[in-house]
Amino acid sequence: MMATDIDLPGLAASHDIITLGMRADDARRHLHGASTTFVRVADVAAGPGGAIQVPPSAGEVRIVGVPASRAAAVARVGEVKAAAGGYPLSGFSLSDLEALSAREQVTLRALLEELCAAGLELVAEAPFDQLGDPRRAIEEVNIAGLALARLTIGTLPEGDVVDGLKQIVALQRDVAVLRSFAPLPRRVSPVLPSTGYDDVKRVALARLVVDNIPSIQVDWALYGPKLAQVALTMGADDLDGVSAEDDAGEGRRRAPLEEIRRNIRAAGLEPIERNGRYELTGR
Amino acid sequence: MNLEQIVATVRAGGRIDAGQALRLYHEAPTALLGRLADGIRARKHPDRVVTYIIDRNVNYTNVCVARCAFCAFYRPVGSAEGYVLGFDELYRKIDETIAVGGVQLLLQGGHNPDLPLTWYEDLFRNIKARYPSFKLHALSPPEVIHLSRLSNLPVPAVLSRLIAAGMDSVPGGGAEILVDRVRKLLHCHGKASADEWLDVMRHAHRAGLRTTATMMYGTVETDEERIEHMLRLRELQDDTAGFTAFIAWSYQPDHTELAGNEATGVDYLRTLALSRIVLDNFDNVQASWVTQGGKVGQLSLAYGANDMGSVMIEENVVRAAGASYCMDEVEIVRNIEDAGFTAERRNMHYERLGGPIFRERAVPRMRELATARADGDTSVPDELKHYPARSRQGKALRVVQ
Repeated sequence: MMATDIDLPGLAASHDIITLGMRADDARRHLHGASTTFVRVADVAAGPGGAIQVPPSAGEVRIVGVPASRAAAVARVGEVKAAAGGYPLSGFSLSDLEALSAREQVTLRALLEELCAAGLELVAEAPFDQLGDPRRAIEEVNIAGLALARLTIGTLPEGDVVDGLKQIVALQRDVAVLRSFAPLPRRVSPVLPSTGYDDVKRVALARLVVDNIPSIQVDWALYGPKLAQVALTMGADDLDGVSAEDDAGEGRRRAPLEEIRRNIRAAGLEPIERNGRYELTGR
Repeated sequence: MNLEQIVATVRAGGRIDAGQALRLYHEAPTALLGRLADGIRARKHPDRVVTYIIDRNVNYTNVCVARCAFCAFYRPVGSAEGYVLGFDELYRKIDETIAVGGVQLLLQGGHNPDLPLTWYEDLFRNIKARYPSFKLHALSPPEVIHLSRLSNLPVPAVLSRLIAAGMDSVPGGGAEILVDRVRKLLHCHGKASADEWLDVMRHAHRAGLRTTATMMYGTVETDEERIEHMLRLRELQDDTAGFTAFIAWSYQPDHTELAGNEATGVDYLRTLALSRIVLDNFDNVQASWVTQGGKVGQLSLAYGANDMGSVMIEENVVRAAGASYCMDEVEIVRNIEDAGFTAERRNMHYERLGGPIFRERAVPRMRELATARADGDTSVPDELKHYPARSRQGKALRVVQ
């Protein structure tokens, strides 16, 4: 059963996370059943000339970090594309690219088109709260021939959580290209970190409120296996940020692939690997 | 009984047996298990108070002859990394504990053959002389059995002497899984069989002590054996009513001989919830944020836990096996209140001591748990020379002293 606007404030205000989680799980199963997707990502640094290692198991090669300049960004995409071959290549935060285009006095679209021409397939993330004009910026990604890997939240927004999530719904109504939304903030205050209740409540509410984006995503590396696994039982259906390095040094049973499959199955769900293009690549 | 009938039994406050518990564990969705456990928590603690204790988890020695396959903390006799804390070091730790509002030491350690019963008695007496109201939650059942074997005294006599010296209560460590098949596979049957562990607790309860009960799951046990563990505790609790609380934690595999995987967070929440349902005669169930982290530790409060355990201050054992979470009082209270509960300090008997200390006076924030000793500190306590050593290496050390 989907939540209505009438009971959402009550659910958001309640400490009864089990009821909230059950509602979100119902909504998630309505869309995805028990299927839970995950992607193994090989991160490479944004600086040109840096080491590029692409493990064969990678489902996505992601350029991480802030590009120093437009030329450096384009050069790095070219380098990584040459090394990554046919692997889906994502990179950068859309807010960083927005700032870079302003700094170098080119349009965002021109910068994105240059990156696309150099071999970039996807902008790695669009942090909703850090974009000057989210709708326009995401449309520029689309027009430039790129895809957006996921919509994210940079820092935990203040104010009513349901109202904040409704803004995401409205954005998707406008752009209609968002495939995945990661509702947990990318940056957490070390002084006042979010609690487990905060996190699972936010994931569950995202599932219930943001009903026009297919996937609610949690970052495996950023939030850790325990919280990410619990989030899967409360509305999330996709895990990002699984390491593509399968040599964990502690035997195959503790390698990332086995670890994530074990965690997904232990949550009563079915693991399905995908790549950065959201193509399913294996069970 | 089918699942619906079992659920109805639990909701009505009825007791379930092993088969019913297993069916519940296998067939009930995690949310349903949580809801049932939360219902029991609410019946037992309707005021929505979640308690915690400020104490220090001190491991007085890491030298151990038990050699459990799941332990990353112990060092064999004669190891250069072996240590025994001196009385003065322990006094300093107590001073630090009292300074942040602490009320007791959780004192446990390895089975060190060079520490005779008199060492413990002298330590306890000296602590009680210096800190009369400070509590000693000390020596898990396997340590008591070790002292019994070392001193050729029956367990009740050892307990009697330790109580006379100042022991206030017995921590439930060393229970692992109270099934001998499992204990043999984990190489911990020698330190205490299931019956021996329970017998120490029975003697302690008869002697008037309250104790806790624990379970370390996720090694080699079956689901049936996890439930058997809970039922053996429930049976003893029916008999003595001496357990104050139950604490479950997942095996931490790093740097252990057994190695393998750690059970997942959802597995923890399901096990915790099941324990709340099966252990219907236990008032208190603790969250193990030390092994699960603060976030799943807090979520435990929705799955049957009513206690956030200890502020702890110091931890050595699970850290050695890879878990290194830290929460000071401010953080524990924030997590309790954020989950919609009222936070209150308690003592080992679960008597409430009041609201958070940090709201009464300034207490320094704690960003990481202390360790038993600073790295590189290989000092040997001076008072050890007064106690006869049993091992060859220990005797040699005494000669040097």
